[in-house]
Amino acid sequence: MSVSQGETSPSTTTPEDRAGGGAGAVQPPPAAAARAHRPRRGRWGQRAEIAVLAGPALVVFLTFVIVPVVMAAYYGFFKWKGFGPPTEFVGFDNYLIIFRDPEFLAALGHNAFIVIMSLVLQGPVAVVVALMLNRRIRGRSVIRVLVFVPYVVSEVIVGTGFSLMLATTGAVNDLLDKIGLGFLSVDWLADPDVAIWTLLLIITWKYIGFAVILFLAGLQGIPDELGEAAAIDGASYWTTQRYVTLPLLGPTVRIWAFLSIIGSLQLFDLVYIIWGQYVASTAGTSTMATYMVANGRNAGNYGYGSAVAVVLFLISLAVALVYQRYVLRRDTEGAITEGKK
Amino acid sequence: MKSRKLLAATAVAMASTLALSACGGGGDSGSEDGSVSMTFWHNSTTGDGKAYWEDTVAAFEEANPGVTIEIQAIQNEDMDGKLQTALNSGDAPDIFMARGGGKLADVVEAGQAKDLTDLIDPAVKEAVGGSLSAMTVDDKVYGVPVSILPGGLFYSADLFEAAGVTENPATIPDLEAANEKLRASGVAPIALGAKDAWPAAHWYYFFALRYCSQDTMNEAASTRTFDAPCWTEAGEALADFAATEPFNEGFLTTSAQQGAGSSAGLLANHQAAMELMGAWDPGVIASLTPDGQPLPDLQWFPFPEVEDGEGEPGAMMGGVDGYSCSADAPDECADFLNFALSKESQEAYADAFQTLPASSEAQGVVTDPALVSILEAYNEAPYVSVWLDTLYGQNIGNALNTAVVNLLAGQGSPEDIVQAVNDAAAKE
Repeated sequence: MSVSQGETSPSTTTPEDRAGGGAGAVQPPPAAAARAHRPRRGRWGQRAEIAVLAGPALVVFLTFVIVPVVMAAYYGFFKWKGFGPPTEFVGFDNYLIIFRDPEFLAALGHNAFIVIMSLVLQGPVAVVVALMLNRRIRGRSVIRVLVFVPYVVSEVIVGTGFSLMLATTGAVNDLLDKIGLGFLSVDWLADPDVAIWTLLLIITWKYIGFAVILFLAGLQGIPDELGEAAAIDGASYWTTQRYVTLPLLGPTVRIWAFLSIIGSLQLFDLVYIIWGQYVASTAGTSTMATYMVANGRNAGNYGYGSAVAVVLFLISLAVALVYQRYVLRRDTEGAITEGKK
Repeated sequence: MKSRKLLAATAVAMASTLALSACGGGGDSGSEDGSVSMTFWHNSTTGDGKAYWEDTVAAFEEANPGVTIEIQAIQNEDMDGKLQTALNSGDAPDIFMARGGGKLADVVEAGQAKDLTDLIDPAVKEAVGGSLSAMTVDDKVYGVPVSILPGGLFYSADLFEAAGVTENPATIPDLEAANEKLRASGVAPIALGAKDAWPAAHWYYFFALRYCSQDTMNEAASTRTFDAPCWTEAGEALADFAATEPFNEGFLTTSAQQGAGSSAGLLANHQAAMELMGAWDPGVIASLTPDGQPLPDLQWFPFPEVEDGEGEPGAMMGGVDGYSCSADAPDECADFLNFALSKESQEAYADAFQTLPASSEAQGVVTDPALVSILEAYNEAPYVSVWLDTLYGQNIGNALNTAVVNLLAGQGSPEDIVQAVNDAAAKE
């Protein structure tokens, strides 16, 4: 499910910490009791086991992720049309052009805005919905499905559907006209003042299901005893949520925020489908990834496009590392063995 | 937001690797008994076009025992990327689609295309005439055109009549007057699929064709700058024209060819009266009419003239669809191209694709009234420029696309178009 660095349950195994934990990559110090019935293997045996189990995945990961990243970094130093081996070495010229290009800086700004607004719009709503769905209410499973379905639908389908509905002469404006709210109909996609908010609405609608499911899983891990204890102490429902549930949901929210930030930084498909290849920059919804495709592949400048890819990679990596270091540290303490980082 | 991204990316990468490794280039496997096998990539994945190539290849194989051709039909949008990958991996198709101009020049420069100068029949060169220049780089022939696709304004004769437009607009003021009448009659004067950007850029190309001389346009191909004043004049003329609001409502979010709401669809369903397009348009419009048949009242007139331009009146702009051979292809590749350019084969092509064949011998089979008008104008044009994005290559074409959309959206100036081109040249 999660592709972040495999956090395992920390040694202080509290159930709530299990939420959001990925597939454990590193064995926590074993509780001897739990492992007593298995024969101890030697260190080399363990290593062989890891090699056999993780080997194929590692090979695939190296071949399709690490090698292309290194190649992109290499190509980024060339002016290259994509035919034959790159020959025209230009050093850091591509990078200078990127950071002087107002179009790229605008795209970077849009990305930053989307990162922040995704958190602001999705987080609170998702928490409220998750709390609601965590109680026994009528039609819980129906609501759950409705909230989660958009996340499952392919981005291309979502993009195509919304671009048809929200076009200037599309269904939404037509409906508004018909019910006498014609003054509300705006150019949802083409008006630069409106377009980015349209995009944010679509993103919220599409990805909130993921947040809700994560939070629900986190809530499942919170022991009922805590709520009962709070109730005995005379806490109201809301007080309990505020002082018991939400703090314990913290790790899950932090992991979700991390995934959301990385996703927002790399947002491409929705924008590309809805705004086409070029209108995104006019409408003010371009992202670094759409800029990369427009100025790389579509322009036939594979060297320049690779440099943009490297910039996007470095920005994502920097954000990820800072986030892990300062936000996720508490959650991953004990999961990462000393000296093996 | 996207925890599946990596998994998905990996899966896609693996799948595409499998797919790529599956399309073996074959290469020139001239075996000892003199048999030759070639691979052939074209972009007609459906219907008559696909059948045409299958029939042509079958006929060629029959006439040339020992030669086999393996056909791969590839989606037009995927063609560039796949071709590039194949060329770089040394696994290129022997016969591949090319549209000439800057893009073909890039392939030639990388030593990936075969010089066909002495392999193409003189009779074929004769028959395709001037359109061969699009497939010529440094005076050497690297391919042959199979169809010519000049651009101009396609219009619905019924809507013109209903609006009281009696004569085809010959000048830009005429066109603006016609737009007024059409708007009053309740239809959008001109459909424009600006979401795809290139249809919007075509408006700028045609104004440039009128304001810039042929020499200026050809010079820019090597200088990579738009410093001549005519480029700015063309932008200003387009800005003035756009200020009269000639395009359909919401043209910025209108696609060119997808569905009834696209610009071609608006024409096919009589929602808009005109569209500036290349000669492929009748086929596209036919696929979007309610009954799937060609639009009976579809007509064509050339891009209107301007008063003070340096471009010669009657000059046209258009593209060619053609085919080239990769550098390692056997000579039989040229034989196949010669075969495809024969009169019968070209006539069948014109029928299958509802377009204009490149061979002048085969142009007699064109009956569609719009296409007939195009042919007349084409054969009288003082010169025919290729699309500017083809002429200047993808990179500058790409910058023009964005800049023109910005201009039409009221967020850019004519000077910005010139600036965008000069900036783009720095990236290549």
